Amino acid sequence: MNGMQRLLAAIDGTPADRIPIFCNLIDQGARELGLPPQAYFADGALVAEAQLRMRRRWGHDNLWSLFYVGKEAELLGCRRMVYADHGPPNVGEMVIRTLDDIDRLEVPASVADHPAFAEELKCIRLLREAEGGQTPICAYITATMTLPSLLMGMEKWLPLLLHGPAEPRDRLLAKCHELFVKEIAAYREAGADVLVYSNPFGSTDLVPMKFFLERSLPWIRRDVEAVGADGLVYYCGSARFNRVIDAVAASTGIRAWYLSPLDDVAEGKAAIAGRGLCCGVINDIPMIDWTPAQVRAETRRLIEAGKPGGHFLFGTLLMPLDIPDANIQAMMDAAVEYGSW
Amino acid sequence: MLDRIRSDYDAAIFDTDRDQALQAVQVALDLGVDAEAIVFGVVVPSIERYLAEAAANQVSLAQHYLAAQIAGEVVEAMLPRFRTAPDCLGRVVIGTSLGDFHGLGKRIVGGCLKAHMFAVTDLGLNVSPAAFVDAAVAQAAHVIAISSMMVHTARGDGGCLGVRRILAERGLEDTIRVIVGGAPYRFDPRLYRQVGADAWAENGLAAAGVVRELLQEVAR
Repeated sequence: MNGMQRLLAAIDGTPADRIPIFCNLIDQGARELGLPPQAYFADGALVAEAQLRMRRRWGHDNLWSLFYVGKEAELLGCRRMVYADHGPPNVGEMVIRTLDDIDRLEVPASVADHPAFAEELKCIRLLREAEGGQTPICAYITATMTLPSLLMGMEKWLPLLLHGPAEPRDRLLAKCHELFVKEIAAYREAGADVLVYSNPFGSTDLVPMKFFLERSLPWIRRDVEAVGADGLVYYCGSARFNRVIDAVAASTGIRAWYLSPLDDVAEGKAAIAGRGLCCGVINDIPMIDWTPAQVRAETRRLIEAGKPGGHFLFGTLLMPLDIPDANIQAMMDAAVEYGSW
Repeated sequence: MLDRIRSDYDAAIFDTDRDQALQAVQVALDLGVDAEAIVFGVVVPSIERYLAEAAANQVSLAQHYLAAQIAGEVVEAMLPRFRTAPDCLGRVVIGTSLGDFHGLGKRIVGGCLKAHMFAVTDLGLNVSPAAFVDAAVAQAAHVIAISSMMVHTARGDGGCLGVRRILAERGLEDTIRVIVGGAPYRFDPRLYRQVGADAWAENGLAAAGVVRELLQEVAR
């Protein structure tokens, strides 16, 4: 079976050789090709090549078109990324410094033609040519309510979101939503299969339940209604969300859930209640220092918690660059061994 | 009367309603409650209750933020009204590690520390190890607080490791302690030791207690 067949089987609950294994190797690409990050991320062909090489090497079931999360800030005018040798590039310039900047914010008429996005779409097309239909191609999209944090920093966005003033805040959300809709359309047209919908504000780790129900959920619903739930994966950027699964599933039709490593997998599966795919996520941050035996044990624990009854995928969080190859190998070996049916 | 004010204030914080929280403080002032009672009878106990609830995973980041921000604001507004100047519990310099532009955690911690009567110097974002140490020396601070949201900024030489190295080179390790915080430490609670920190705090509300302990260590 190939990765796409495994993914579809896991979603539908039909027989497969094993559970799908998603391994998010993003920053490793530059090292894979022996390039400095800035040169690597400048060319979608390089990113695609690295993704294909790494998938062949490790044998996981997905390919990524994500360059770095700050890419969406570039789409809205950020001109300075801070590159690092040991981690992802960071937004180095806030597009919104004052509320007046919100008026000046321009959503590109066509995101597909925007230089900041064109390489990412090129990457998707190349992945599609190489392994389309065989391996799920993943794209990353920041939810409307979360995108402003990339544009003005969380320390400014959170107070604006919580306390207003309402008028510029709602104008900013409307612009972010417009970009969201255009981005999803461009991803789909290029050939992305899996759209990871990232929204920390969809987690009760970030906002209280009352706020979630009154403010976050309506925006989630609006996002999903605008683009359709097909291929969307609910993800809260490592924050926990078991408590909201029921509400989101009932009102959006989303059918895939990429849990936090801090979520209880069995509890998450119970909340999903057969309505879709539960993705159990290993806490890969300590994997830098773990022994292969520790990695193996944790992989096994997670799969044994989530695999019974099917509808389960094993995934990683952000796979820091310094995780030793031996630990990636140990994780993959254990995931195949314990994830086989 | 104070119980009612405390209850209103807590409810406002729990609902992330800043205006209501400040309104509760204003009502207290209008009723003649003195500034010391507002700070030590309403604001600080509210933080302590939040700390207990946070330990039980019932408090969101937005509530942490609001509790800390309002506490910092209220304390700053109340200090000039104190009958006698409160004792400063110690000086702290705080910032994010080099290459890290995520400032929310730092802001939360700063607010909590101010509410607990620590003098806080905020060095901002993307602070080099040398700048942390220089500022601590200039401010006569005994604690350096380093916030990092990304794995590489937490583990790299631009963060605590670099600060630790400079403290050792300059013979300052006995007089300055280092506390770290941020997402990588939450996902790997042993990481603080590897980067050479003396302690870490899971959230802003916990940080005040940890800083107090570090200052006691230095005093010994």
